[in-house]
Amino acid sequence: MNVLLYYNTYLINMSKESQMRAAINQKLIEMGERERLKELLRAKLIECGWRDQLKALCKDVIKEKGIENVTVEDLVAGVTPKGRALVPDSVKKELLQRIRAFLAQHST
Amino acid sequence: MSPAGCSHVNGFKVDNWKQNLRVIYQCFVWSGSAETRKRKAKSCVCHMCGAHLNRLHSCLHCVFFGCFSKKHIHDHAKNKRHNLAIDLLYGGIYCFVCQDYIYDKDMEQIAKEEQRKAWKLQGIGEKYSMWEPTKRELELLRHNPKRRKITANCTIGLRALSGVLLGSPLSSHSLPVAAPRLDSRRHLAGYEQQDAHEFLIAALDVLHRHCKDDNGKKANNPNHCNCIIDQIFTGGLQSDVTCQVCHGVSTTIDPFWDISLDLPGSSTPFWPLSPGSDGSVVNGDSHPTGATTLTDCLRRFTRPEHLGSSAKIKCSGCHSYQESTKQLTMKRLPIVACFHLKRFEHSAKLRRKITTYVSFPLELDMTPFMASSKESRMNGQYQQPVDSLNNDNKYSLFAVVNHQGTLESGHYTTFIRQHKDQWFKCDDAIITKASIKDVLDSEGYLLFYHKQFLEYE
Repeated sequence: MNVLLYYNTYLINMSKESQMRAAINQKLIEMGERERLKELLRAKLIECGWRDQLKALCKDVIKEKGIENVTVEDLVAGVTPKGRALVPDSVKKELLQRIRAFLAQHST
Repeated sequence: MSPAGCSHVNGFKVDNWKQNLRVIYQCFVWSGSAETRKRKAKSCVCHMCGAHLNRLHSCLHCVFFGCFSKKHIHDHAKNKRHNLAIDLLYGGIYCFVCQDYIYDKDMEQIAKEEQRKAWKLQGIGEKYSMWEPTKRELELLRHNPKRRKITANCTIGLRALSGVLLGSPLSSHSLPVAAPRLDSRRHLAGYEQQDAHEFLIAALDVLHRHCKDDNGKKANNPNHCNCIIDQIFTGGLQSDVTCQVCHGVSTTIDPFWDISLDLPGSSTPFWPLSPGSDGSVVNGDSHPTGATTLTDCLRRFTRPEHLGSSAKIKCSGCHSYQESTKQLTMKRLPIVACFHLKRFEHSAKLRRKITTYVSFPLELDMTPFMASSKESRMNGQYQQPVDSLNNDNKYSLFAVVNHQGTLESGHYTTFIRQHKDQWFKCDDAIITKASIKDVLDSEGYLLFYHKQFLEYE
C-alpha cells in the first residue's frame, strides 16, 4: 500500500513538472522568445567551438557507416550523448538566466 | 541517402500542395505572427502522449502530431500509410519508406522562404547565404554596360580561375559576381585563345584599379594601396645588384602578383644551381627519379646571377661601370602566392610548350627564399635554424591550374581544395572529386598557395 502511495505521489509530481514545462513552453512560443533563444543558443555554441566539435563527431560516424548508407538517425544516435555532454556550463547558465528573466517579466 | 529527394513525395505533390505545405510551415514550424505562434503553442503536442519535446513531427497527409523519439509518428505512418512527416523544430521532411530525411528541391525552396518570412516578422536577422541575383537584378546588370554578369560561356579558364579567386568549386550555374568589364582587346594579348596566366594578371589588374577608383583619394602610392587585392595578392620582390669591385649593393623592391619560374628544357639554361643556396633541408625534398621540384625552380629563381661583361651596371660606389651580380629574393610574401611555371616558350628560336613534370608540395616553406634568410647567410650563418616558431613563411597549396594541349590550342582545368584535404577537379561545368595524388601528379601551370597562419596587422 505504502509503495503504491509513494509511486502515485511520484507520478503526480512528475506530471505537475511536465505540466509546468508545457506551460512554460507555450508561453515561450507565443511570445516568440523560443525562436530568439534558439538563435542565441546557436550563436553561443558556434562561438565556443561546440559546433566544430560536433562536426568532427559527425564525420567520424559518417566514416564508420560509409557516406552512401548513413542516415540522420545514425548521426543522431551516434552523436547526441557526447554532444549534450560537450555543451559548456557557461552556455547552459546563460540560457537559464535568460529564461528565468523572461518568466519573471511575463509571469501571470 | 539521396541528396536529390525521393520519389515518394510524388504522391504528396498534387493539387494545391505548395500552398498546403506553406501553411504547415507557417503554422507549426516557423510561426512568425502572434496568431500563428499562439496556435502553435497550443496545438503542437503529441497526439499520443501529450509531450511537446521528443522531436515532434507532423504528418504531412493529415492532422497528426507525434513524437519521433518515442516512435509515435512512426506508428501513425505505418497504420495510416502516410509516408511523409515534417520535423517541427527544423522543418526537415522525413520519408518513412526511405527511412531518412529527404531534400526535395521544391520543398526546400518553400522551407527557406517561409523561414526567412517568419524571422523577418520576429526581427531575427538574416542567415548568411551566397548572393544569387534575382530576375530584377539580372535585368539591371544586363542594362548597365559597365557591369556584366559573368556567365558560363565566357573566356576559357575563367571558371577555373574564378574558382581560385573565390576559393571554392563552382556549381554548374553562373557565377554571382558583377565585375567591371574585361575587354579582351585591351587587357589581353592578341592571341586567339587566352592564356590563363595573362587572364589572372588582367583580372587582378582590373579589380585592383576598380578598388583604387572606389578608394579615391586614399591611394597615393600606386605600388601599395590598401585595397583587398593588395592585401591578399601583392608581395614584394627584392632585387639586389652587387658590384663585383666594391661590393656595394643597390637594392630595389618591386611589387609582384605572381612569380614566373623558368623550367629545365627551356632555351635559358636551368642547371647548374649555384652553391650555398639550400632550400632542400627545410622543405624535405627528395628526388626519387630526378624530377624537378618547385623548390628547385625557386632556388634557381633566387640564385645570384652574374650579369656578364656585356651588361655592366653603373655602380654608385665606384662611379663607373662594373660587372655585377644580381639576386632576387622575397621581401614580403602575399597571403596568396601564385607560382607561374613558364611552360610556353615564345623565344625567337622556338615556340613550344614545355611539358616537363615539375613536382610541387602540398606544404611549402618560403623561408630559404626570403630576403631575411639571405642576409643571415651572408652574415655567416649558413645553417638556418629550423625556426618552428616562425610560421609566417609556411604555405599550403589550395589550387592548381593545368593546361592540356599545345601552344596553339588547349584546355584548362583546375584542382581546388576545400577545407583541409578535400580536392575537386573543375573542368568547365563538370566538377568531380579528386584525390591528392591526382593533384600532385598533374603537370601544373599555375600553383596557388596560401599562408598557413595569418597574423593580425
